[in-house]
Amino acid sequence: MTMVSAEQRPRPKRRWWRREGVQGYLYISPWLLGFLMFGVAPLIAAFLTSLSKANVFRTIRFVGMDNYEKILTDDPVFATIAGNMLIYVIGSTVISIGLGLALALLLYKDFRGNHVFRTLIYVPSLLVGIATAYLFKQVFRGGEVGLANMFLSIFGTEPVNWLGDSEKPWLALVALILVNVWFAGGTMLIFLAGLKGIPASYFEAARVDGAGPWQMFRKVTLPLLSPVIVFNTVMALIGHIQVFETPLAFANSGGVATGNPLGYENSLGTFVTYLYVKGFVYQDMGYASALAFIMFAATLVLTGLVLWLARRFTAYGDADQN
Amino acid sequence: MQDVLDKPRRGDALSAVPAEPPVTVRRRRNNRARWELTARITALSMFCLLLLFPFVWLVSQSLKDTNQYFAVPFEWIPSPFRWENFTDVIFKYEFLHYIGNSLWLALYAVVVNILASSFVAYGFSRFRFPGRNALFMVVLATMMLPGQVMTISLYRFYREIGWIDTFYPLLIPKLFGAAFEIFLFRQFFLSLPREIDEAARIDGCGTLRTWWHIILPQSKPVIIVVAVFTFLGSWRELFGPLIYLTGEENRTLPLGLLYFTSPFGSSLPMLMAAIVISLIPPVVLYALGQKYIDKGVAIAEIK
Repeated sequence: MTMVSAEQRPRPKRRWWRREGVQGYLYISPWLLGFLMFGVAPLIAAFLTSLSKANVFRTIRFVGMDNYEKILTDDPVFATIAGNMLIYVIGSTVISIGLGLALALLLYKDFRGNHVFRTLIYVPSLLVGIATAYLFKQVFRGGEVGLANMFLSIFGTEPVNWLGDSEKPWLALVALILVNVWFAGGTMLIFLAGLKGIPASYFEAARVDGAGPWQMFRKVTLPLLSPVIVFNTVMALIGHIQVFETPLAFANSGGVATGNPLGYENSLGTFVTYLYVKGFVYQDMGYASALAFIMFAATLVLTGLVLWLARRFTAYGDADQN
Repeated sequence: MQDVLDKPRRGDALSAVPAEPPVTVRRRRNNRARWELTARITALSMFCLLLLFPFVWLVSQSLKDTNQYFAVPFEWIPSPFRWENFTDVIFKYEFLHYIGNSLWLALYAVVVNILASSFVAYGFSRFRFPGRNALFMVVLATMMLPGQVMTISLYRFYREIGWIDTFYPLLIPKLFGAAFEIFLFRQFFLSLPREIDEAARIDGCGTLRTWWHIILPQSKPVIIVVAVFTFLGSWRELFGPLIYLTGEENRTLPLGLLYFTSPFGSSLPMLMAAIVISLIPPVVLYALGQKYIDKGVAIAEIK
């Protein structure tokens, strides 16, 4: 007591709420409260809902895993959508990551006008939303009026009916994926920051050892950039799985929410548009909740897959943790 | 955050290489460098052209009438210009009202998010308490959760308490901070020297005043980044408003676009004009905060 009292002398005077630990909790309490109210509680409620079914009179009945079973084994619409999502997520992630990385490599060296290019490429990615969704719906319009078809006509290609071809409904999905070319700027900027974080001496050492550009990319850039690549890939996957505005706008006919919001033969259906239709158009909350959890599970599986692949193929896994 | 961007570039290290190669080799290398630079700029120019085309096309189409809109061959410069499209969209199509709704929602989100998220981040960065790191991992993990999972049960709850078609479902959750913004603030606060806090504490400044008078005034860069991102996030949000705001009176700009119909004919050029209007604020905002945003995006990567 006597020995430590000099250190602790101010302690007994302090009120309990002045203690560091207590204050820390007080400061984070808004988030904690919000997390419990708008995160944990609705999550539990959604899980319970997903195990139930409400009939027209809104009496709720516990049905166990029935909703999940129906979605996964006996829902042709979901089967189509799962296929759509697999193609869309893979295609879009390849564009986001591949194009983002390529642009970052092009912009890595400083030259006059670099800044202008960077700004022009980055700004569209800030504009993603229903406005650009409607813009691209017009861009991918069938006939000669659409901008995409005007572009193709330079190469002598016949006008493509992107969003309304009953024989090739997959064309709509291709258009949906291509839109991501305009939004690669976000990943580009993060890649650029990652590239600038690699010490220049590494490149110099490789050059002195006689490495060509490809070897330099393969053996220096790629391994050292791998944490950023993994981060960007996971973020892109999460974002693409939750795509909503563009497919909804593409499937919308005329401007009002009429027709099938999932597109012709559900060719534009995504997890979130289907969830929206089931939960908020047909008011089947149990089914929609189960869909939401399946979407979440798909996110976790894909993220886990990326992390597993990253660990397998990155030989220098620990070297880049600076 | 600063030092990552101020790291020496490749050129700096190059100049430090002592041995100068012979002149012919140098010239050959210079030629190759020049050729490489030309290729780089050509590739980037072509890509930027591709990126810009839809937006130029958009502006052109927004200044036409329906006949001009569908004219083949395409007219890049409309004649005559129909500037009325813009005034019509704003005044006759209720867009003034939608813009007003979106604007105050976004400004509210900016103010509240800066206050709440920096408050929480201050707790995470300046205090030691049991479970702090685990709780911060939870903050990061919530970014992975698809918001739609929660939306369904929240919708039912709001319906019970009569909040549907009010702004409360969009306003109240923002009071508790947002994960990504808490993360950004925390990273920034950790980079601020603790000595100033200590000095303030010794001078008898409480922790609340330290946050308000010492920490926040030093945090201009991250505040700007959070302000821009929060504004953009709120400005373009569709899913929440679509579900919670059912009446026409409360429509935001994205909802106005989604339900765009024309009572006066020739709707497509009008729709394009409405799109142009909704894209202007994000572009202006980026232009204003550009210096900070380019750096701010990098924070996300330094985990």
